[in-house]
Amino acid sequence: MTETRYVGKPASRVDALEKVLGTAKYIDDYRLPGMLVARALRSTLPHACIIRIDITRALKVPGVHAVITSEDFIDHGRFGYPVQDMFMLAYQRVRYAGDAIAAVAAEDEESLQAGLDAIQVELEPLPGVFDPQAALQPDAPIVGERPWDAPDLPHGNLLNHYRVRKGEADEALAACEVTLSGEYATLHQEHAYLETEGALAVPSSDGKGVTVYANCQSPFLNRGNIVQTLGLAPESVRVIQPVVGGAFGGKDDLLYQTSGQVAKLALLAGRPVKMTFSREESLIASYKRDAVRMKIELGANHDGSLLASRIHVLVDSGGYASITPFTAWRSSIHAMGPYRYAACQVDTDAAYTNNGYSGACRGFGNPEVCVGIEQAIDELAERLGMDPIEFRLRNCLRPGDATPHGQVLGDDVALAECLEKVRQISDWDHRRSAIAKAQGGPSRPGEIRRGLGVAAMFHGLSLGAEGADFAVSTLAVDPDNSITLTSGLTDYGNGSRTVFTLIAAETLGLQPERFVMPRPDTETSIESGPTVASRATILGGNATRLVAMKLDSILVGSAADLLGCSPAQVARHAEQYVGPHEEAATFEEVVQHARRKGLELSVQGRWEAPEIAWSFEKGSGEPYFAYHFGAQVAEVQVDTGTGKVDVTGFWAAHDTGTVIFPQGVLGQLFGGIAQGLGYALMERVDYDHGFIQNTNFDEYLIPTALDVPDMVGAFVEKPFAPGPFGAKNIGEPSMVPAAPAILNAIYQATGRRIRQLPANLEQVLLAHDLRKEGDDRACKLGLHGK
Amino acid sequence: MKIDFTLNGASVSVEAPASTSLLNVLRDNLGLTGTKQGCGIGECGACSVLLDGRLVNSCLVLAPQVGGREVVTIEGVRGLEGGANDLQQAFIDCGAVQCGYCTPGMVLAGEALLASNPQPSRQQIREAIAGNLCRCTGYQQIVDAIEATARRRRAKVGHD
Repeated sequence: MTETRYVGKPASRVDALEKVLGTAKYIDDYRLPGMLVARALRSTLPHACIIRIDITRALKVPGVHAVITSEDFIDHGRFGYPVQDMFMLAYQRVRYAGDAIAAVAAEDEESLQAGLDAIQVELEPLPGVFDPQAALQPDAPIVGERPWDAPDLPHGNLLNHYRVRKGEADEALAACEVTLSGEYATLHQEHAYLETEGALAVPSSDGKGVTVYANCQSPFLNRGNIVQTLGLAPESVRVIQPVVGGAFGGKDDLLYQTSGQVAKLALLAGRPVKMTFSREESLIASYKRDAVRMKIELGANHDGSLLASRIHVLVDSGGYASITPFTAWRSSIHAMGPYRYAACQVDTDAAYTNNGYSGACRGFGNPEVCVGIEQAIDELAERLGMDPIEFRLRNCLRPGDATPHGQVLGDDVALAECLEKVRQISDWDHRRSAIAKAQGGPSRPGEIRRGLGVAAMFHGLSLGAEGADFAVSTLAVDPDNSITLTSGLTDYGNGSRTVFTLIAAETLGLQPERFVMPRPDTETSIESGPTVASRATILGGNATRLVAMKLDSILVGSAADLLGCSPAQVARHAEQYVGPHEEAATFEEVVQHARRKGLELSVQGRWEAPEIAWSFEKGSGEPYFAYHFGAQVAEVQVDTGTGKVDVTGFWAAHDTGTVIFPQGVLGQLFGGIAQGLGYALMERVDYDHGFIQNTNFDEYLIPTALDVPDMVGAFVEKPFAPGPFGAKNIGEPSMVPAAPAILNAIYQATGRRIRQLPANLEQVLLAHDLRKEGDDRACKLGLHGK
Repeated sequence: MKIDFTLNGASVSVEAPASTSLLNVLRDNLGLTGTKQGCGIGECGACSVLLDGRLVNSCLVLAPQVGGREVVTIEGVRGLEGGANDLQQAFIDCGAVQCGYCTPGMVLAGEALLASNPQPSRQQIREAIAGNLCRCTGYQQIVDAIEATARRRRAKVGHD
């Protein structure tokens, strides 16, 4: 590609300065005169009928200004996408321990707690179901209502069933010379954003509208839910996103509930109302990455050709659907890994249980299945006596190949390059054989063993067949000649505002410092769908490139008029517009001329993803318009006396297309790997009969700086034609293969497969968990201090 | 009760119940919201401040404990003309900032380390920030930023 000035060059994150100075305002930093504090009363039972809620005593508590239940919302506050099974506050039933039942707004913490204590709630316990397999048995208690959009599903707890079909997997497996059957399970994962959930609602002076500040990912969806459940006019509800302290997919549904609650409380109280969560409330109430069980059968021939796969995936959706219908679909599409198969069959079931609910989490169903398939591929390679990277190279998807879904891939596929690259930067061949040679046979108790493992991945870009895929950006030259750029896609720490700014600057040939990018606000930006699924760079980036091209043609037209030449004759030198006789006009002169001529310097650009088609009945089609590919290698050291695993080295190669913001891409890569390391080794959400046992960071462990090694990242910058300047995304893919790479390394060290995450001391040493009986006290303690 | 201490170089006096945490005094009484609450039990380090030059979790320090002592928060870490100092600028340049919620605590952890050890190894840097959780960055660029600042400060001392 041609030489760039800003794209791909070192840059500063647009909001980095305020963050290092400590002046960035997060939701809990907002203080308004007359502001009330609020909290929800949450269920201490995982499944129960709500017999009665009496708020009369609570309303009389001095300092309490408003108390609400589901009765205060239109249709009891029913909302949810794609399944409308949630309420702003629980209606008739609670479906998990932590479900919000009522909410109070009060003057201060003391009166708030007194108000919550004075609410009288009568719950009649219902039998619960805490295992997705048990949930699908004929006699299982039914969790909530039947899914509204799937009345024909055979079981009331079955949320979705998805399939992928290519050829006849049964016959193909039977004909294979070598087959393998393995079972793998993952646990729920907490997003563990350092900033907990929070929302602040400010009623309008006429009492008919509300402005909500919420650290959610998708302000437009939030506004839609508030409008619908409070019965307000769309133009009277404004949602503004303050600086967000991390999200990773976790700041959607729960934040919509919280936002609806504070909006209603603020309208009733006539005062601003803020609700922020303690870490305990966050862990108890928030949705998690789904827990998945997989049965994987693979078949190959002795020559190393992978031929067939038959896979079943069972997903625990918990008490509500949230976004599980989409994550489970993504799991089914990615469950067989980035390989060619003659025949492939995937069946995925998602079931309701009374565990806390599952929702979007970085990787969106793909890290889960990657743990299964990438371990199975390693097991099969071992049976064939092949090197794990050789086996993957032999069978991985390449340009022009057809995927098991029936999609013919374009020339942007770079998995083989990623595998070769990671093999090279990790010195795989030498390092792996040196370990094997040094260690020889089985380990002696207490021996420190080393291991090297690899995993490959693919990840469908953007939403795919999950929904309409578009983004809108706007550009306007302000009176002071700064340029305001907006996008409906948000930046919760991922760096998208910086990426958009660099794209606009590059396209217009103007310095990034000229651009101002306000925080997402439903009043000043245009709806662009949710900021999920690693879609910001491509969707928002393309919309930004388009809008910048529009503004550029207006400015070049103005320059041509000013310089008395044709637009085609206008050349650019730094920020100047230069005519055919070397006469130059500055940006300011060109803008001033455009204004005199009455030209509109405010434009809008919309980009839609290419059309795709997926047949849910047949289980084939084009699930995504393109894919990201990558491969990672982990080195571990295992103490076979204690089961302790240290990750001592990590190498990653990813097919990012053109890199736009180098420090940002590396940050996303390293951060994703660290999250995958936690997923592999320590992160454990333990629901005991529906009660979460890990309610703060002393019990829910995430990696510290000492748990993460120095990592090496490399990018295969094969330009991706549909991406802005040839870019693909990185946010989610970075995490996907990290856990299985570590698990495969543990296998080389110990000779033991990790079939249940996390690979904690017990799993590594004994292959099963030693656990004390849990209880429900931690959960209650965390919520109400009793 | 009345508590007098030195905050970011200036004397302050606050009136707060004896059971109030330093974190709440800073945020609620003094309006210094750069110090963040992440867990409330001293596990995450988002509330880190310097107490007599040592890194502490302000959620675990009771306000009366700081009487007569010196507290430095992120608002007290500034370069020329109130902008970023060299360590803060290194955080920006190295890409060590993502969501930013752990950043104030991380900067203070870095300052505490560099004050006691001008030539830390990468492992020593990792140990010094091990009480500060970050979920976004994987820590690498934070280690880079502290390491680069240590190098520059040593070079500067060498020149002076």
